[in-house]
Amino acid sequence: MEIDPRGPRFGALITMVMFAVVLITGSVWVLAFQALCFAVGTFLGLTRSPYGMIYRFLVRPRLGPPGELEAEAPPRFAQAVGLVISIIGIVGYGVGLTPLGMAAAAAGLVAAVLNGVFGLCLGCEMYLAIRRTWPGLAGADRN
Amino acid sequence: MAPGLIALCAALICAVAAGVLLRYRNGRMRSVRAAPVPFRPDAVRSGDQADGATTAVPEARRLTSADLGRPLGEQATLIQFSSAFCAPCRATRRVLAEVAGMVDGVAHVEIDAESRLELVRRLGVLKTPTVFVTDSAGRIVKRASGQPRKPDVLAALGEAISINPIGKDASDISVRPA
Repeated sequence: MEIDPRGPRFGALITMVMFAVVLITGSVWVLAFQALCFAVGTFLGLTRSPYGMIYRFLVRPRLGPPGELEAEAPPRFAQAVGLVISIIGIVGYGVGLTPLGMAAAAAGLVAAVLNGVFGLCLGCEMYLAIRRTWPGLAGADRN
Repeated sequence: MAPGLIALCAALICAVAAGVLLRYRNGRMRSVRAAPVPFRPDAVRSGDQADGATTAVPEARRLTSADLGRPLGEQATLIQFSSAFCAPCRATRRVLAEVAGMVDGVAHVEIDAESRLELVRRLGVLKTPTVFVTDSAGRIVKRASGQPRKPDVLAALGEAISINPIGKDASDISVRPA
């Protein structure tokens, strides 16, 4: 499935703000909401994630059509990576290991900034590297 | 200052620094450090005949027509490693095809990274697209990780063509207007 590549970038900008709020307030609930967004994006697809919906109905109508489409699989894998990072953060803040929580939120923030501001999707690169290193694991065809 | 705020500032600084650096490097043509090659005018012809003379060039810095499954370009070859799920690969293909059409004797070869993993490892291809510019003997002159810009490809081609003195001199190079 192909999607508008600006959608995930928009989502990354919101994610950036969310992780910043988590770092400033130390709130597990904000982090839990972000984890939920990642989970929806991972399991139900990017277009059904909360930020994806905001993009589709509020942002995209104001933009022209995308110049190119991109495949959904790599950014969707990136959502899964974000989910793992968020869960680590929730565990950290939840059991009182605040440095762990902050490290996870900081990592999430860095990834979100790189994606939203610079268009560099680290999770996507991980997906492609996995396909190269372990063909067959992520659906790659062996010729 | 609250530790969270410090972490936030540190993360932002790291992210912006990394982002700027990665954007700068993306698609930039960089030279491949050349191993010294003894000049053997009698032995050096096209890549697949010259194995004896080119053993001084490490395998990691050379591509043969056997590697590519087709002949090298007469003057130079543009080799692109692509993969599925790679939008910049499509754009790179367009740029390289255009440039190959502009300059005589330049071949454009596209390789699927996932089906040539041995080449990927040998050449240290870390992401797609990765572009290699080789001379007529298959020696890698420049490489770029990420989508290269057309002027940079043309400049790299100029270098690749002028490097190999065999058979052609500068007046033989004809460039058709784009």
